Amino acid sequence: MAKQNLSLQLDAAITALLARGDSFVPAAGAELAPLVSMAIDLRELPRESFRARLKSDLERRTTMSTNATPARDAGGTGQAAGAGVNWKREGFRTVTPYIVVDGAGKLMDFVKAVFGATERFRVPRPDGKIMHAEASIDRSIIEMADATAQYPARPMPIHVYVRDVDAAYARALAAGATSYYAPVDQEYGDYDCAVRDALGNNWYIGARKGADPIPSDVPNLMPFIHATGTQKVIDFMKAAFGAEEMLKVEAPNGTIVHAKMRFGGDAVIELSEARGVSDPLPGLMHMYVPDADAAYARAVAAGATSLNAPADQPYGDRSANLMDPFGNMWTVATHIKDVVF
Amino acid sequence: MSRYPAEADERSLIVEAQRDASRFAALYERYFDRVYAFVVSRLHDRDAAEDLTSQTFHRALENLPKFEWRGVPFSAWLLRIAANAMADRWASAGREQGHPSPEPSETIDTDAIENRARLFGLVRKLPPEQRRVVLLRFVEQRSIREIATALQKTEGAVKQLQFRALQSLRETMVKVGKRIGARK
Repeated sequence: MAKQNLSLQLDAAITALLARGDSFVPAAGAELAPLVSMAIDLRELPRESFRARLKSDLERRTTMSTNATPARDAGGTGQAAGAGVNWKREGFRTVTPYIVVDGAGKLMDFVKAVFGATERFRVPRPDGKIMHAEASIDRSIIEMADATAQYPARPMPIHVYVRDVDAAYARALAAGATSYYAPVDQEYGDYDCAVRDALGNNWYIGARKGADPIPSDVPNLMPFIHATGTQKVIDFMKAAFGAEEMLKVEAPNGTIVHAKMRFGGDAVIELSEARGVSDPLPGLMHMYVPDADAAYARAVAAGATSLNAPADQPYGDRSANLMDPFGNMWTVATHIKDVVF
Repeated sequence: MSRYPAEADERSLIVEAQRDASRFAALYERYFDRVYAFVVSRLHDRDAAEDLTSQTFHRALENLPKFEWRGVPFSAWLLRIAANAMADRWASAGREQGHPSPEPSETIDTDAIENRARLFGLVRKLPPEQRRVVLLRFVEQRSIREIATALQKTEGAVKQLQFRALQSLRETMVKVGKRIGARK
């Protein structure tokens, strides 16, 4: 009770201190006086985001002055960070789904068979499992790795636009996927189907009805998040990563049945409220940003939990790992130097 | 490990950063709080303090090759750069307003700055919930009600977290202060 009383008194003093903003010192008893005097200093606590951003600016400057990598064309969307390398690795969108499964090799086979994916490269572990692999599907990339004790399997939903849905659906079933629903005309203007592969990933395979089956207003491949409380996830994406709401469709009862969030002008994450077959399947998003430290600080301030603070990685990125309050993992990364794999 | 390194440790960090600029980050990590604490104690304005702290480290990075070890602590060199940057700022503000601005004080109260820098560093080591409450309350200047909503807690629970955070900071400050006092 006495402690509760002290916490109330301390807060009253802090409220007065913050309201005044000058050298006013509120009266406090002997027990609270040292805490109030410390609160005066805490008023001038630095912003964590500033500390991280300045460090990142200085590091970029030193990297640029010591890195002999020639400047590369930013390619329109990547925008070079002043000089040196582009902050996004070549070919990557701002957000790339990173699929961790028990059997990444099988996943690579699946995307090759169903979508005609091209394997960019794979990095094996000593036991033959995949530490990291990348595949291109048309103009997008997916990344994958075999699960470890630290990073258990996180199958996730992906939406892919293709030219021939019926053929892709047949190939998916032949490659071991289970059908959720066969190709059908949808009221939102797509012809699509849904399958779950043998590793637990959901694939929504569609084509836009009309002249071009692969739309130009969204990427051909988009990670999907089925959430419980979709609006909260949308709010988090805006606060943490500056994502923009492209589309939000609500049912009469207010449930979000479909939303699209745009990241960095070249990537979209789709969302819907989890229901029925679309259980929550929290995913892992690999996101390139111009300043990983600042993005990390903003995400933490928006409620994400830090898994690893920003650090330079041997593969040429500076990156950090975060878990959002809804179970999705985010790797925020800035590409700082080109490394030949 | 001591937060305030032995002279040899400090010296080797400087030599490494002079040889390879990408090692400057280690110096930044070590001295950020002291430079910021010094600047903000003069300016009492977060935006201006960020601007000056940024200028200080950028100038330090540029001038690092010229830094010579003469027994003066590296932090004193950094604070001198910060003091000069502040003097430039005051002079230019005075010119713009058409009258001379007050000269910044020449004396630097190193103990007060180190104390405040130590406090800033300790906030980062608080348990996550306490740290979040301190940052939201003092940096973002949010009300207890706003913090309670953001953290989905009762206002009473947030006040308790705030109290425990300050109490724990105070206890650690006293302990560290005693250790440093005993070394002197």
